[in-house]
Amino acid sequence: MLRKLLFRTQDFKQLFIAIVGAFIGLTFLITSFHYLVRVNEFGEDTEILGRNILIAQRKVTSSSSLGITKTDFEKEELSEMRQETFIDDIQPIVSNNFSVWLETNDKYVPPFRTDAFIQAVNRSFLDVHSKRWKWHKKSRFVPIIMPREFIVMLNTFMSASDIPQVSDELAMSIFFKIRISNGKQEEWYDAKIIGFTNQISALLVPEEFMSYANEKFAAGVPGKITQVMIASKEGKFGELEQYMDDHGMESKRDQMAISRLKSIVGTLLGVITGVSVIALLMSSLVLLQYLQLLISNNYYEIRTLLRQGFHPNNLIKSFWFYFIKLFAIIASIGFIAFILLKILVDHLLIAGGIALKSSLSVEAILALIISLILFAIASYWTARNGVMKWFNV
Amino acid sequence: MKIELKQIIPIPLADSIKKESFWGNDWVFESGERILLNAASGKGKTTFTHLLTGLRSDYSGEIKMGGKSIQTFGMDDWTILRKEKIAVVYQDLQLFTQLTVAENFSLKLQLTHCLELDFAREMLEKVGLSNRWNDKCEVLSMGQKQRVAIIRSLLQPFEWLILDEPFSHLDRENARICMGIIKQRVDELKAGFVLTTLDPSDEMPVNRKINL
Repeated sequence: MLRKLLFRTQDFKQLFIAIVGAFIGLTFLITSFHYLVRVNEFGEDTEILGRNILIAQRKVTSSSSLGITKTDFEKEELSEMRQETFIDDIQPIVSNNFSVWLETNDKYVPPFRTDAFIQAVNRSFLDVHSKRWKWHKKSRFVPIIMPREFIVMLNTFMSASDIPQVSDELAMSIFFKIRISNGKQEEWYDAKIIGFTNQISALLVPEEFMSYANEKFAAGVPGKITQVMIASKEGKFGELEQYMDDHGMESKRDQMAISRLKSIVGTLLGVITGVSVIALLMSSLVLLQYLQLLISNNYYEIRTLLRQGFHPNNLIKSFWFYFIKLFAIIASIGFIAFILLKILVDHLLIAGGIALKSSLSVEAILALIISLILFAIASYWTARNGVMKWFNV
Repeated sequence: MKIELKQIIPIPLADSIKKESFWGNDWVFESGERILLNAASGKGKTTFTHLLTGLRSDYSGEIKMGGKSIQTFGMDDWTILRKEKIAVVYQDLQLFTQLTVAENFSLKLQLTHCLELDFAREMLEKVGLSNRWNDKCEVLSMGQKQRVAIIRSLLQPFEWLILDEPFSHLDRENARICMGIIKQRVDELKAGFVLTTLDPSDEMPVNRKINL
């Protein structure tokens, strides 16, 4: 009877609009949260959305060719750049200042020997993560990271020459020897490839090995820093690009393109999440406003019931439970709509060559639960304020 | 439950109060007492009803119920008071006009659980409205509404019944019938009542008559 009295003045047209709004907002929120998480995971695996890192060097100009301007970086300069608000981190790429030879040392592989150029970068900038990436003075083994483009080029050549191609696994199983020398003294180390990088076009060795070798074999000549790796802060790539332009720095065109793409994708994902949250907030507000309207349309009934001896909490619960149930039903329908939408979107993505993880993301379900909890709190306070206004009047 | 009034003066009436008035003096209504409050319009009969039920707090002085100042009452105290200790027939009746007579009674009984709906039907029959059981209150005349409101007020336990001009739209015969059912229920519960009226000739047996 109480419910019949309190809910008889419903404007079903307005209620329908509020329900549709909340349904769209919720479905949009779960879907965008789910794909935000899945696209991020996918992006990290494929380096689309990881840290926005690029390799920068000074532009070579006529004046630098003539030695009027320099093309290397001073350590103080790097410290200053590190202070910039758009730079997350900056680390030098250290090159060898001594002679390096690399040769095969494997009975199953034909002998092969070459002069080599090696570099070292801070571990945090590497796209290869391996426990074997370490070196200390007593170690006779040096791990190597090979540029991916090198093995691609090698396999293209082998294929054209009718020689069997080399897989990643095979390349990583070959034993090498690495020789370092300054003409007066030399040292030999065992070496093996432990991974392939897409970032740097040189053989990479651990920083510790490079420091040791440069100190011992470079005869006191300090190594010049001609390249640096820069990680820009989220959404601030544009500022870094402007800075590089102003300071005569450049990067490889494809790296710049990838960095721009990362910046765009990161910003877009942020915008989609923001829009989803706003959509849900707006639709929840419509529902809450409907609750307020229902309470104010029933002010006479509420006031009279309170005068008759009905406890305010009974009336608050009547309104609250009704709206919680309504929101739960909307959330359930929204969830079903999300599942159907997900099947369709996943299908389209697979057809487009993007295979995202197909399981439901915990974050999307959490977003739904948190929405429900927040709506429950907001609707309780709306119902409480609306009812208590008529107590003792 | 004893009701004590200590120098109560409603703020809107403060300037027009005379020394011999009800307002501004001390009064004690003993448990089970039957009191007639008589006054012309605008003297504060409805205000008095609203003060006792906590609907107004714009007054000076102190009101105690059962020895406790009503100014210290919280939400739970007022709710229990209205549900179990004080029944009221408001001057504007406070019926749910969109509901039927039966539904108005059901709603009250849903709150109090103290009587069966048949009891309400019997009383409705006594006041000559048995044919109105399923009619919405909005279609009833003022006199019929008054009788429904009186019956509804009796469908709860109470120690005091506050009646704010309950017979104003009733003819003498219907007023007499209503007085009868009120007296029967008040006797049954050993309760008291406060009847406010414009007409001092109301034939309700009382212990005390007070002029506002």
